[in-house]
Amino acid sequence: MSERGVRRFVADLLSGRRPRRFRVEEHEAAELAAAITLRAARPGAGTPREEFVTDLHHRLAAQLRAQTDQAATPLVKPIDVSRRRLVATAGIAAGAAAVGAGVDHVLTTEHVTGAVGGQPTLIPNAGQWRTVAASADLPEGGMTGFDLGTVIGFVTRSGGRLAAVSGLCTHLGCRLALNAPARRLDCPCHNTSFALSGQLLRYQLAVPPAPLPRLEVRESNGMVQIFAPPAPSA
Amino acid sequence: MVGDDVYPDWEAVYRDNVERVYGLMFAKVGNRADAEDLTAEVFLAALGPMRISASVGEVRAYLSATARTVLAGHWRRNFGREVTMFSDTLDVPQPTAAEADPDNSAEPTAAASLAQRMLAGLPEQYRQVLRLRFLQGYSVRETAAALGVSVSNAKVLQHRALRRAAQLSPGGEP
Repeated sequence: MSERGVRRFVADLLSGRRPRRFRVEEHEAAELAAAITLRAARPGAGTPREEFVTDLHHRLAAQLRAQTDQAATPLVKPIDVSRRRLVATAGIAAGAAAVGAGVDHVLTTEHVTGAVGGQPTLIPNAGQWRTVAASADLPEGGMTGFDLGTVIGFVTRSGGRLAAVSGLCTHLGCRLALNAPARRLDCPCHNTSFALSGQLLRYQLAVPPAPLPRLEVRESNGMVQIFAPPAPSA
Repeated sequence: MVGDDVYPDWEAVYRDNVERVYGLMFAKVGNRADAEDLTAEVFLAALGPMRISASVGEVRAYLSATARTVLAGHWRRNFGREVTMFSDTLDVPQPTAAEADPDNSAEPTAAASLAQRMLAGLPEQYRQVLRLRFLQGYSVRETAAALGVSVSNAKVLQHRALRRAAQLSPGGEP
């Protein structure tokens, strides 16, 4: 029965799948290692995919940004990334600290902020100012959602200023729900939350979703208005 | 980049090392999904605490040390035993060695020559079946046809050949 694990491991390797986990007996290890050695000898096998290199670059930028933001907003943290096995263990952290010690310059924000895409603002090709609320209905600290047919989002007044963000999760597009007591936007699909400013607050995904796009907002004649495409005619 | 240089920022660290770390990992896990996850784990664990005023050689050695820990964790967590590991001398580039030799191109050659040495010690039919299946990507059916044996014979041959290769391989013992 111990053979089965080895056969399945080898079959997985040969078909390019991630080998399924099993408890390896001592006498089986060399066979698995031999299979790995052979598989790794294929031409080009050790070269990473371009998409992977690009994607990891984005994840690292997001992680470093989150670390440096953490002093200001201690809310940013992954909820559960253990399933993707991306958690740095205590052992790694301790080893890392030991190896990294003795030098003085820390990897910090100045390189990171410029490298990260930031928070884009939606400016449609053919937009118009469309009313979403009466000014009186949006007092200081107030917040409200809107659906303009072409764009959905949330607008808030904070510190005397209006701000509006898209109401779709940047992960896979689920509609965000306003969580008024917590003053945040919750995704119903994957436990992602955004601040009303659009910044990511928490996520369970391996790759941090981008912040929410901003929308242009103004106040005119006692009305709060968003710059958005006209409503669909049909 | 030479051993005594200093990286200008973390992105330079990443660009200069991502292919090398991936290559090291692939040689030890033999599949893309694990190699990608473990490479990501190395950089995600290393870049936070890392100080980049360390020399290029020190940074590379540090990444290799992190890779060693990450790989060991992967095997213990999922398979209960370290099936492969980085040797002390081979995989941790010395600052001086890193200067002389463009390690990205050296990795596949190292992996290939390791496999060639393993195959060289096998009887002809064993060598054939492993070469066709592992290196050339033949299906069992295609391998059977190429060797002139039945499909079930090809499976048995592959199994025995791999077992024999494991006995011959010096690096196979954990």
